[in-house]
Amino acid sequence: MSNDETVVPGQRVGGDAPALALRGLAKRFGDKIAVAGIDLDVAAGSFFGLLGPNGAGKTTSLSMAVGLLRPDAGAAYVQGHDVWADPLEAKRLLGVLPDGVRMFDRLNGRELLGYTGLLRGMAPDEIDARARDLLDVLGLVDAGQTLVVDYSAGMRKKIGLACALLHAPRVLVLDEPFEAVDPVSAALIRDILQRYVHGGGTVIFSSHVMQVVERLCSHVAILADGHIKTVGTLDEVRGGRDLEDVFVEVVGGRTATGQELSWL
Amino acid sequence: MAVRPARSRDIVRLKLRLLRNSLRGQSWRIALFVGGLIAGVIVGLVTGLLTSLTGLDGPDPARSRDIAYLVAVFLGAGTVLAWSVFPLLFFGVDETIDPARFALLPVPRRVLIGGMLGAAFVGVPALTTFLATGGLAVAATARFGVLVGLVSLVCVVGGLLLGVIASRALTSAFAAMLRSRRMRDLAAIFIAVGASLGAPLQWFVTAMVANGSMSQALGIARVLAWTPLGAAYAIPFDVADGRYDLAAGRLAIIAISAAGLLWWWSSTLESAMIGTTAQGGGRTRAAGPGGAVAALLPRVLRRATPFGAIFAREWRSWWRDGRRRASLLSVLIASAVVPIAILFSASGTVEFGGASATEFGGAPATPPHALLTGYSVTFAGTIGGMLLANQFAFDGSAYAAHLLIGVPGRVELRARAAALTALTVPLISVVTVVVLVASGMPDRILAGLGLLVTGFGAAIAAASLLSVLAAYPMPDSNNPFALNSGSGGAKGLLALVAILATVTISTPVTLTSMFLHGPVGGVVVLVVGTAYGLAAAWLGTYIAGDTLDRRGPELLAAVTPRR
Repeated sequence: MSNDETVVPGQRVGGDAPALALRGLAKRFGDKIAVAGIDLDVAAGSFFGLLGPNGAGKTTSLSMAVGLLRPDAGAAYVQGHDVWADPLEAKRLLGVLPDGVRMFDRLNGRELLGYTGLLRGMAPDEIDARARDLLDVLGLVDAGQTLVVDYSAGMRKKIGLACALLHAPRVLVLDEPFEAVDPVSAALIRDILQRYVHGGGTVIFSSHVMQVVERLCSHVAILADGHIKTVGTLDEVRGGRDLEDVFVEVVGGRTATGQELSWL
Repeated sequence: MAVRPARSRDIVRLKLRLLRNSLRGQSWRIALFVGGLIAGVIVGLVTGLLTSLTGLDGPDPARSRDIAYLVAVFLGAGTVLAWSVFPLLFFGVDETIDPARFALLPVPRRVLIGGMLGAAFVGVPALTTFLATGGLAVAATARFGVLVGLVSLVCVVGGLLLGVIASRALTSAFAAMLRSRRMRDLAAIFIAVGASLGAPLQWFVTAMVANGSMSQALGIARVLAWTPLGAAYAIPFDVADGRYDLAAGRLAIIAISAAGLLWWWSSTLESAMIGTTAQGGGRTRAAGPGGAVAALLPRVLRRATPFGAIFAREWRSWWRDGRRRASLLSVLIASAVVPIAILFSASGTVEFGGASATEFGGAPATPPHALLTGYSVTFAGTIGGMLLANQFAFDGSAYAAHLLIGVPGRVELRARAAALTALTVPLISVVTVVVLVASGMPDRILAGLGLLVTGFGAAIAAASLLSVLAAYPMPDSNNPFALNSGSGGAKGLLALVAILATVTISTPVTLTSMFLHGPVGGVVVLVVGTAYGLAAAWLGTYIAGDTLDRRGPELLAAVTPRR
């Protein structure tokens, strides 16, 4: 862990507080330790990629960080606000796209955005204007009248992203935002996220697609078996090598010797 | 490299393994499993006793034999019918061995059918049915001796086999039709209505058997014995009589229908194996004017608040979600059927249109009936409010959106309750008024409405608490018939307890209504009942809302289906 943790930086409130700080977050399901106490600081304005193989604990960690899953131990801070002790302020600053979670899918896209905005306590005029923009940019205008239950997987990701962006959060937490998204939409989402970070926002997203991470991220952490194995800027983590090679080495995967599956 | 071809046995072993894994470490599942078997044994013993002992030493052996015949044929026919229809109605298709999962494997169709048939026998429903109808074989042994007893045992297995084949064939045939979401939603409604009408139908049959003469019932049984439903269960009686020709005829009926069903099944299996494919373009509505907020909020409800938003979303979901619509419709039907049934069983005869003046009286209803009317109307309100008993599971993990925003628990629960109230209370009120007028008690309308609101409000309170504390997941499955086999069962029983609790909570008002007659009394009950119901709902959502604020993540975990 390469953090200077002398003053518990997660608890600083204000401009210099990290956008997201995790302190000793841990979760076990039955006998299985899903997340074994992770510490992480995501600096404001960074584009942070959380990498890990399937089952590494990415979704569990992010769920605990945003208030969906109660941790067994540890704490999470959004710009210094404790997600579990002071949830309302933390949740106001957060925009989240969870993975594998249903939406209120008997609404159409436009209604879903209106719904999310009203729950956030936004003014109706502002909701209408932003919803129109978001549907337009994400190419969902025609689908605005279709019930979300009839959306394709990629369309669901996009409407989910629109819901997360609607209240202009300071920190975006996205769980597998590029999963099941076609290349055209993926490019669009990348573009939106890059502009968001340029505008001062912070993005944390999980993925196991190296190319996307290499292209977008300023910072990377590799999570495996519930532990953070490596963390740092993209260049620090890469160390002049290919990110994929580093990833496989850190996670402890095997490299083919050419002898396996000789019968194929 | 040589690969051993798949055998039916492998599929049965797969089902056994699945069953074992589902029981592992889940003591309440084991309890349900054992409980199901015990229930089967009890039914089997009761039938056995009923058919073997009634009048064995009685004065009229012919009559006792007739009773045995009746029980055997009706129970048997009921079993086969239930097996054919129930999977569609209640339990959902057993998806543990879903043909779609074998689509990519090189399994010959015959092997697949054999395996799935065998697998259908492994499990609580088949075992319980076997134990329950096994009583017939015991009875046949006691009555006609070991040989006929053995024949009867074979027939019981044969009847079960036919039922299982029928259930598989029907679900497979409907699988293709149910692939489109709109058809599924539609089918769910039809089946909900059918199932709700089943209760009055059964009530009618029971009344006919109870009141009608033996010969009438015997006539029906003799007809049933020549249909695939009852044929198997009449064979032991033929054998005992030495009428092997009749037995052979019935055997032929069973064999032919089994063969026909198997053929039907195998011809629809292919389409059932293709699995869920793209669901077409989906529903598109004409583009309404205005923005996102106007699209969500109904015109009358221009309250741009979280409360208004949840109200509007719930209102839409009750219409647009097939599962919700189905339960809404069954509750409406039940709210009419239950009061009628309660009044009927109390009086013995209900003659609609107010003809039975002696029973219900023009002037003040006599206390026992006033009490029953009161309870039956309260109950109608109660089951309406109980629609919310597992309200968070309807949308499953979609509740995450509320958790991420931090919607206050009280706002959440009250908005949901308000939407259901606006949707159901007017409808149930109309039904109640119609029922009261039809049973000759128009003077009880005001009081009845007051009791209805009491029951509804108290049920909202109980259901709000229950939905937060004892939520259980409904499967994400796109099959509207799919219910988690067992997982919801235990917590679903809590809803029954909550209904009893609700009726008890409402008792002060129900009792008060007994002593208040006339127009003034009616108004008093209406006012007091409404106030009582509102207070109960307010208090219930207050407490449950507090709990929800503390238990949000736990609730989300509880309603997220396990994958």
